[in-house]
Amino acid sequence: MRLELVVKFFKRQYRRVLIYTLFAALFVTSLMIGAVTDVNFESLFRGDELMWSIMIHSRLPRTLAVVLAASGLSVAGLIMQAISRNKFMSPSTSGTTNAASLGMLIAYIALGTSPAIIQTIFAFVFALISTLLFTSVINKLKIREVVYIPLIGMMYGGLISAISTAIAYRYEAMQILNSFGLGSFARVGNFSVIYIITVPLFLSVLFSTKFSIIGMGEDFSKNLGVNYNKVVFFGLTLIALVSASSFVAVGGLPFIGLIIPNMTTSFYGDNLKRSIVDIMLFGADFVLICDIISRLVIFPFEISVSLTISVVGGIIFMIYLIRGIRHGKTKTR
Amino acid sequence: MIEIKDVHQSYGKGKVLDGVSLRIKENAITAIVGANGAGKSTLLGVITRILPMISGEVFWDGFNLKQVKSREIAKKIAVLKQTQSLNIRINVADLVEFGRFPYCGGRLSDADKAKVEQALDYMDLQLIRDKFIDELSGGQRQRAFIAMILAQDTPYIFLDEPLNNLDIKYSVEMMKIIRKFVTELGKTIVLVLHDINFAAAYADYIVAMKDGKIAGEGPVLDMISPEILNGIFDHNFHIVEHDGKKVCLYYDNESRRKHGGYTHNHDSEHVSRHGDEHAHNRGDGFARRNDDKKGRRHTV
Repeated sequence: MRLELVVKFFKRQYRRVLIYTLFAALFVTSLMIGAVTDVNFESLFRGDELMWSIMIHSRLPRTLAVVLAASGLSVAGLIMQAISRNKFMSPSTSGTTNAASLGMLIAYIALGTSPAIIQTIFAFVFALISTLLFTSVINKLKIREVVYIPLIGMMYGGLISAISTAIAYRYEAMQILNSFGLGSFARVGNFSVIYIITVPLFLSVLFSTKFSIIGMGEDFSKNLGVNYNKVVFFGLTLIALVSASSFVAVGGLPFIGLIIPNMTTSFYGDNLKRSIVDIMLFGADFVLICDIISRLVIFPFEISVSLTISVVGGIIFMIYLIRGIRHGKTKTR
Repeated sequence: MIEIKDVHQSYGKGKVLDGVSLRIKENAITAIVGANGAGKSTLLGVITRILPMISGEVFWDGFNLKQVKSREIAKKIAVLKQTQSLNIRINVADLVEFGRFPYCGGRLSDADKAKVEQALDYMDLQLIRDKFIDELSGGQRQRAFIAMILAQDTPYIFLDEPLNNLDIKYSVEMMKIIRKFVTELGKTIVLVLHDINFAAAYADYIVAMKDGKIAGEGPVLDMISPEILNGIFDHNFHIVEHDGKKVCLYYDNESRRKHGGYTHNHDSEHVSRHGDEHAHNRGDGFARRNDDKKGRRHTV
């Protein structure tokens, strides 16, 4: 009898179980990988102070950064897709990331090398303004083919990047600009701002029902007494905050905000209340795997994590794009 | 009681609502009818604060709706616009739970959960409660949305073309359910209906709109008459009685005239106008049909 219940629970919740166990396993694996191979369970149990120090000051922050950036971007994409009712929207397909980069560049030119928090504020303000501009323009255009919107978003992002490049060229900051975009968890210095992401993560769980209702449409929201514009603005603020702090801390992580929500909502559905934590952890699983690959292929050196994510994520994105077109699910509403 | 006073609304230059005043009859079904672009849906939107208005007031039991919090209104007035977002993957039970949002803000108490179960039972949705709404048939999906409105537990329910995209069987089923809302649950219902015969068969009161104004209102049996309807729809109606209900015949008047079926006393007037209006009516009818097709394609 009890066994039957366990089987039933597992049948219904196996995805959740899988995501959570995978997360635990990958988290530990991530902590155990690094140039100092002496950091292992044995040395840690022995209470080796040096090993513990490496663990706490190097390994743990890095792994936490992976988890926070990945969960944050997954949720940012999820909220953006709910708000725009478009499965192809994400911070990297709407110019948000590019605007964050421009903000960082302006901070660098105006203030020189400034603390990470100042850079984050600049990146946040630019990302927010750019996202508001983009979403209001898209709403006015009333485009029905959903595939066009991320395409326009990418062009818009390209435009912002071009402006950044022009400015960087003028102020001889090209190298700085290029280094911003390269996603890597091996950076030092700017790392601490990644912890800002915990705030939007927490708020997004708290407001998940409101975001789901907004996703049902404006009339639907108003009927239930939800202030549509206010919640949309709030959502975009969270998205900009996540994008800015993750960009400043670890650089660009392409595709995460796009593919993670798509991979999960196809079986969890669009009710964020039920799925938001799972989506965070699934995003973390994905980036942890990519990060582990990046650190192992040329061990003890590592390649940029955005390279690995681009390869894996690009393929998955292509599959979704082609499947979306084939199933005729490319129209909004 | 809901009372609308001198409401104006316009898009660009065209006036959509031009000084509409109305008192909604309690515990009854009121159908708003009229030609395309007469302002029916806009009126519904304005009364339910879904759409803004330029001037005018809507009172609910003496309170001006502009001064009441949107979330409080959501406990008194529920509104469902034409069937929405079809590619949202949300299951039926979760959709119905949204109806409790005005009361609990998303964290459902036991009482809220009981209301959700009641609504699911009432709309006969228990068997498909775990299905995603994008997997349902048109009729089931509409029932799911109505169940959400029911869970919202409001004395007033406004429905914008609830029969849109439903076939005849589901349309009749839907109107019967709406009738039960009034007789069993004591609700007050306002509908925008495209098909005048559904209004004639199921509504208690009819509000007819033309060019943003109320062209006539009254009990259904008084309103369904050629004198009134001809003016509202710019079309010639023939009314027959069947089982104590009035039915409008409005298909191709000319052929019926030839077969001697058209025997109304206003016919002399009709003949004099008929020659020059015929071509216009025909063209209009075609245009409207195209519109419908287009509209449907957009909603997919």
